[in-house]
Amino acid sequence: MLPSRNPRVALPFVIPALAMLAAVILLPGLYVFWLSFHASSFGQSPVYVGLANYAKILADPYFWRALKNTIVVVLVVVHVELLLGLGVALLFAHGLPFRKWLIACVLAPYAVSEVGAVVMWRTMFDPEAGLVTRWLLGLGISPLEWSVVPMHGLLLVALLSIWLHLPFSFIILYAARLSIPKDLYEAARVDGAGAWQCFRRITLPLMMPAILIAMLFRYIFAYRLFSEVWLLTGGGPARQTEVVAIYLYLEAFRYNDFGAATATGWLMVLTSLALALVYLRKLHREMHAHDG
Amino acid sequence: MTADLSLALRRFLARLGRAVALAFVLLWSVGPIALIVGAAFTPEKEIFSVTPQAGWRPTLENFVSLWAKWGDFFAGLANSLIVTLGATLLAVAVSTLAGFGYSRWKSRFLAGSAFTMIALRLLPPIVTTLPLFPIVNAFGLNDTYLVLILLYATFFVSMGTMVMRTFIDQIPRELDEAAMMDGASGLQILRRVILPLCGQGMIAVAIFVIVYAWNEFLFAFIFTTKQAKTAPLVMSEMIGSLDGVEWGVLFAATTVHLLPVLVFVVLCQRHLIEGLTAGATKG
Repeated sequence: MLPSRNPRVALPFVIPALAMLAAVILLPGLYVFWLSFHASSFGQSPVYVGLANYAKILADPYFWRALKNTIVVVLVVVHVELLLGLGVALLFAHGLPFRKWLIACVLAPYAVSEVGAVVMWRTMFDPEAGLVTRWLLGLGISPLEWSVVPMHGLLLVALLSIWLHLPFSFIILYAARLSIPKDLYEAARVDGAGAWQCFRRITLPLMMPAILIAMLFRYIFAYRLFSEVWLLTGGGPARQTEVVAIYLYLEAFRYNDFGAATATGWLMVLTSLALALVYLRKLHREMHAHDG
Repeated sequence: MTADLSLALRRFLARLGRAVALAFVLLWSVGPIALIVGAAFTPEKEIFSVTPQAGWRPTLENFVSLWAKWGDFFAGLANSLIVTLGATLLAVAVSTLAGFGYSRWKSRFLAGSAFTMIALRLLPPIVTTLPLFPIVNAFGLNDTYLVLILLYATFFVSMGTMVMRTFIDQIPRELDEAAMMDGASGLQILRRVILPLCGQGMIAVAIFVIVYAWNEFLFAFIFTTKQAKTAPLVMSEMIGSLDGVEWGVLFAATTVHLLPVLVFVVLCQRHLIEGLTAGATKG
């Protein structure tokens, strides 16, 4: 074996990446864990308080409201987005003229910033002059009063999140659909299977791994939801549309309660890891399969 | 005859259904963007007028008032550009190095660290802002380009590394073995053999970082106040001036900020799709 197959040679190549991740994510993450057992504020030295921070946020009705809001929005966003993404992926896989340009159109929201998306959706749903508001009124449907009614605010947040992230789900699902061999469908058609049967017996089962991966990723990323809510409702009225990330931000940077914020942060980490566990276990197994 | 007819009818209906679905998809994806870009070229007074105007006369007046009133926004665009370039260079360089390492060498430590890398990416960014905020202040890095460049690059390093590894895996090992016979070191192999062949992967990584860094809000909101303020932050201030949002100006700013990256995404569509399927979901 040649000397440079020695894995130590690889270290200088991977160390910059590992050092950055350690300095910016891993060590701060562990420090948050340590801080979550301490009372602290900016410029104060931390005092050990045991589980008091956790007790405090778990007794705080605003925390529970934020958690409930987050769960509702995440569930709606991820599932509607995946259904839409699947529909669009199947539509495109069927073969369309100008496919490249049409895909570019579907990908367009990927280029839009959260701030830009808020400008767009806020304008369309403006309670007085918004285009969609006028359409809804024209159809005799009462429009969204998103700045007044908390549920309407969250619904608008969900709509714009779906819009912003559909390109991601679409690409994952579209690639998965294209990787299904064509002869499977041909063989099924020879056996007399209809479109629905092809979907149930071939498309859906073969796309399932990709659907689950996309779903996990979207759960984890949707859970971080901050900017859309912050820019649209700011968590109001009366803190009723807060999500967990907003709660954390307000505790830390407005109410100066670092203890509560770090405890919230660590709960977010735990939830994210719990969600990711399924994915990480699969990945771990695959990596070891490669090594063997 | 009737069987043929009903088959033709069903085909026609299926086609019609697909056309209608496609129309909805396009309206959904492009409608909001077109609306705002169109409004940016509409006189401020006419943007929200309920009565339809006789003919739409595009105007640049919103862009002119944006230039006159919001010098901050253009400073923000310059800051965004600097931060985006810095983060992209850093992330692509570090990811290429690491992708090469993970592609060509195997060990327990490497497997374990790759796994940790992926797991770390799943932590919510807002959590790390809590301890970083005092640290950044202590080092006097608050409101500098450096802190944003470092944060943006780091949050894409793990995905970037996995994308690069996938691309470098496709370069035949025989090529580096031949170079190794000639006595080339790891770095020389990277420079002479790998770099000329992994441009596609580097472009894919660059696209992700560029779109992310150009658009990012949370870190910019927490870590910049004045000097290094990025364009999205200035736009959020425009929305925030609740008593008098100048909609035309806001739409103009949104358009100026969006169009370059939109054109870029459309042009690099193929790399975006390849990158996302190559390793995005793995890392």
